[in-house]
Amino acid sequence: MIMRIIAAVALLTGAASAQWLTTKTPNVPRTADGKPNLTAPAPRLADGKPDLSGIWNPNPKYVRDIAVDLKPGEVPMQPWAEAVFKDRLAGLHSYEEPDANCLPQGVPKLDTAPAPWKLIQVPGQVVILYEAFTQFRQIFLDGRKLPVDPNPIWLGYSVGHWDGDTLVVESNGFNGKAWLDQVGHPTTEKLRVTEKYRRTDFGHMQIEITIDDPGAYTKPWTVKEGPTLLVDSELLEFVCSENEQDVKHMGTKK
Amino acid sequence: MLPRIILVSALLAAGPASAQWFHVTTPGIPRTPDGKPNLTAPTPRGPDGKPLLNGIWQMNGKYLQNIAADMKPEDVPYQPWAEQLFQARQNGALGKTDPAARCIPGMPKLDALPYPFKIIETPGMVMMLFEGFTTFRQIFTDGRELPKDPNPAWFGYSVGKWEGDDWVVNTIGIKESTWLDNAGRPHSDALHLIERFQRRDFGHMDILLTIDDPKAYTKPWTVKEDLRLIPDTELLEYVCVENEKDYGHLVGK
Repeated sequence: MIMRIIAAVALLTGAASAQWLTTKTPNVPRTADGKPNLTAPAPRLADGKPDLSGIWNPNPKYVRDIAVDLKPGEVPMQPWAEAVFKDRLAGLHSYEEPDANCLPQGVPKLDTAPAPWKLIQVPGQVVILYEAFTQFRQIFLDGRKLPVDPNPIWLGYSVGHWDGDTLVVESNGFNGKAWLDQVGHPTTEKLRVTEKYRRTDFGHMQIEITIDDPGAYTKPWTVKEGPTLLVDSELLEFVCSENEQDVKHMGTKK
Repeated sequence: MLPRIILVSALLAAGPASAQWFHVTTPGIPRTPDGKPNLTAPTPRGPDGKPLLNGIWQMNGKYLQNIAADMKPEDVPYQPWAEQLFQARQNGALGKTDPAARCIPGMPKLDALPYPFKIIETPGMVMMLFEGFTTFRQIFTDGRELPKDPNPAWFGYSVGKWEGDDWVVNTIGIKESTWLDNAGRPHSDALHLIERFQRRDFGHMDILLTIDDPKAYTKPWTVKEDLRLIPDTELLEYVCVENEKDYGHLVGK
């Protein structure tokens, strides 16, 4: 399924490349031949904080398996979660994956969706515009606390603060329906996610993600992902439910 | 159909969530001595003197049902085929052919949804974050031109510029299958939308929306839609395809 998505993205990129998707991104350091210098220092805002803004392209290996860099057994699944995971890993439930049904990926899977996302910093909040499903997410930096008993939703509620040069985003209020990845690591309504965004240089970001879900895992566990900056481009429109033909071919149990 | 989905889900969503941070006090809003937002205070302006458009706005819901609600029916300058198609869509006769019924949002109905949207101005781009469908528009203000032969898209391609106190957004490249309203007014691939955002005072804004589509209408026509600022709240999550039960009851093919 995901290969099809990738193929579709490739097709779109081709057809659209003649459009303003090739608009030059301003304020990008460039080498003498005009190419973006992605190893230049990370830019900063007027207040000295790192400027994380830009279009970021996730490494697609994490959408398949968020724990791909961990050793087998390092994901501390509770027995029921492991049973669900093994069932899903066998592909028997792929038709149930929310993503396959055009439902939101949830956090943090959205960070890894194999389509770019644009991060924008404005006073009091960060907005992330996702090419995937043309969705957005708001992260509030105005000092508000996470809600105490939130209405469960797909993307949760997110607040952020700076820890030195790292933007720390904490989220709760998830509905427990999302899969962390395509192989099917489960979540529950007890999920809390901490994402630590650090721009290591102009063209590279590290995101350290901690999954704290006492409903499914015996202890919090952490993974790292690293999107790269996509310059001189723009987000495309991605409407999942348009002419969707995949889900009926997925899985075997109905 | 769409009004049903919208009303029911809006009511459901507004109830349980009201205890949450949707009561955060919006900063920068002029208030009366009792702390209530003063929505008739003057239009806020930026350092460049232009009106600020930032905020959470809610459209008068009648324009989603009927974009020409304030016009005499005979004043909509249809081409004959467009009027025939509009008549054929009346009373829900072709409800299944509205992309919005399949959870595909598109312009210009997106602006007219009766859910709030948030405008955030940034250098070079203005975002509109829509509670409806949890989706967004980017309107580029960095001086780029509209694309010459764009890939048709549900939201089209939008650029904005200031003309006096009006923020003028030009949009082309909208897929011809979107409807202008629930009543079913059609458009063609030649549709050029011109939205003039006019913030009248702190709490009120109009969008003068011009439909310029020579293939579907004999001349450009303009409607005025009114919005109000929604202070001290936040957008909710809205996922159209979750547990969607309406489409199967719609008629048409």
